[in-house]
Amino acid sequence: MSRQRSAELVPAHLYGLRRGTTVVLTVISSLFALFILGPLIWLVINATKDQADVYDSFGFWFSGPFRLFQNVAALGQDVSGAGIFVQWLGNTLLYAGVGAVGATILSALAGYGFARFSFRGSNALFFGVMATLLVPITSLALPLFLVYAKVGLVNSIWGMILPSTVSVIGILLMRTFIESSVPKELIEAARIDGASEFGIFLRIAVPLTVPGLLTVLLITVVAVWNNYFLPLIIFSQNNLYPLTVGLASISASAETGTKADLVPILISGGLITVLPLIVLFLVLERYFRAGALQGSLTG
Amino acid sequence: MAVQAVQARRRRARAGGGRNSRVRQWPGAIFIAPHMLMLGLFMLVPTVFAIYTSLYTSKLVGGTTFSGLANYAIVLQSGAFWDGVGRVLLFAVIQVPVTIAIAFFFAAIFDAGIVRGSRFFRTVFFVPFAVPGVVASVMWSFLLLPGFGPYAEIGQALGLGKINFFSSQLILPTIILIVIWEFTGYNMTILFTSLKSIPREVTEAAIVEGASLWRIILTIKLPMVMPSVVMLVFLNTVGALQLFTEPSILGAFQPQAISFGFTPSLFVYNTAVGSGEYNLGAAAAVVLALIIGAISVGGFAVRRRNGEFR
Repeated sequence: MSRQRSAELVPAHLYGLRRGTTVVLTVISSLFALFILGPLIWLVINATKDQADVYDSFGFWFSGPFRLFQNVAALGQDVSGAGIFVQWLGNTLLYAGVGAVGATILSALAGYGFARFSFRGSNALFFGVMATLLVPITSLALPLFLVYAKVGLVNSIWGMILPSTVSVIGILLMRTFIESSVPKELIEAARIDGASEFGIFLRIAVPLTVPGLLTVLLITVVAVWNNYFLPLIIFSQNNLYPLTVGLASISASAETGTKADLVPILISGGLITVLPLIVLFLVLERYFRAGALQGSLTG
Repeated sequence: MAVQAVQARRRRARAGGGRNSRVRQWPGAIFIAPHMLMLGLFMLVPTVFAIYTSLYTSKLVGGTTFSGLANYAIVLQSGAFWDGVGRVLLFAVIQVPVTIAIAFFFAAIFDAGIVRGSRFFRTVFFVPFAVPGVVASVMWSFLLLPGFGPYAEIGQALGLGKINFFSSQLILPTIILIVIWEFTGYNMTILFTSLKSIPREVTEAAIVEGASLWRIILTIKLPMVMPSVVMLVFLNTVGALQLFTEPSILGAFQPQAISFGFTPSLFVYNTAVGSGEYNLGAAAAVVLALIIGAISVGGFAVRRRNGEFR
């Protein structure tokens, strides 16, 4: 590990690079960082403006009265019948929370089943599951809606939560994690001691794969939090919308000329939507990275 | 994989007989069952039902009747649908290589350790992964809107004239720009992790032999991370062909910029939810899935023939 770290910065002269080259590369990286941060800086600045100033003042500087707190307070109100942002935030927390916990449990069970058992057809089944990665989500949302219309799951929170518990990436991650961190010998020893199969999973496999479970949890939280197409199709009542669909509906009515002050809600709402995930990401970055690592092994 | 399974089975047979090994393996199926049930209910059932729905036609007078492949004929003869298919193909052909090239460039120079503060850059580049496509599109719409968007203003100040990023010529490049903003960091993170797993001795040996940095990156490291690159090409392409969120939000800001069938996913949505023609929408969804499936399978076949896939 310490060797790895010392390798982080290789002296440029080893590659025969001139000092100018590294300066140029750093400048290019900085420009790209500016390109990435630009919209987010704009979002923070404009969350402090009122509707007129968003349009009339320069986007990358503050202008007029500081209205951040009024804008955020307006998120709790139903402005011109478009719906209540705070309600959408609660919905998103519910869908992402329950969906991700469900996906993590199902992925852990299935990942353990695939990693530590080789029953008849398990390999074929695993590749079958992996193949569903190629199924386009947008072609699946309408079929889901058609089934929901038959069984009464339209405008039901379960119509959103239940499909969110299916995570193919989660299974792949858990299988890899368990293969590398739960020794077969430990499972065998527990069996000889007479432990039940589910007891072994719960008391041996789960405690040994906590980092893996966290990674799957985070990845599925992000996936549900950012999901737009499925909730757009299955929800028609705006009190059930998640943040994505709610903000999209506001952006549509904000631009179709209603007099109400919807633009500040759109912008400060956007800020409140991205803040929790960015903070989560910065604090738990290494778990996200672990997910990317496993992703790279699938190639 | 299969060989290992066979060897394991033989070992078990030698150790304690077939009956014992069956007792040890069947719980695996039970661990997998809950997920399989959900996969069946929320993936297989809807797919089958969509195909079934696409074979019927609903009319206000006369109700629902079996119409065979009539809906498919309508979709396949629809100029708007193919217009969208052509557009997302063009989009994918440009966006996927550009995104992966930029991602690989940064992953490689950060991996080589020749940029100061590369940890900071890696974190910043990955941040858009946490931003929903809806919010990203809203931000970019405000930044680029003709008339008052600050980027449009800056362009004007630089003497580039009045740039309309939402015009029919520029709308696709604009969406490409937004998607590059969203996904370059994610691609870079995966490539960076792959590059880091290359043994240090490989790089050291190349340096000792006097290879230049660019030669090491392009002729030694790139081939070693090719499996990751191939996987990213697939993931990005499947994502690009489903393009929906960005054009639908941009369309909310400038309705005339985004047509009914701008992308196949928009065609499906507008046909089914917008116009209430669910049978036709189902047929379009099936055709879209088949097109994406054909491209994926075709891609696999080509790579396999070239011996780049195991």
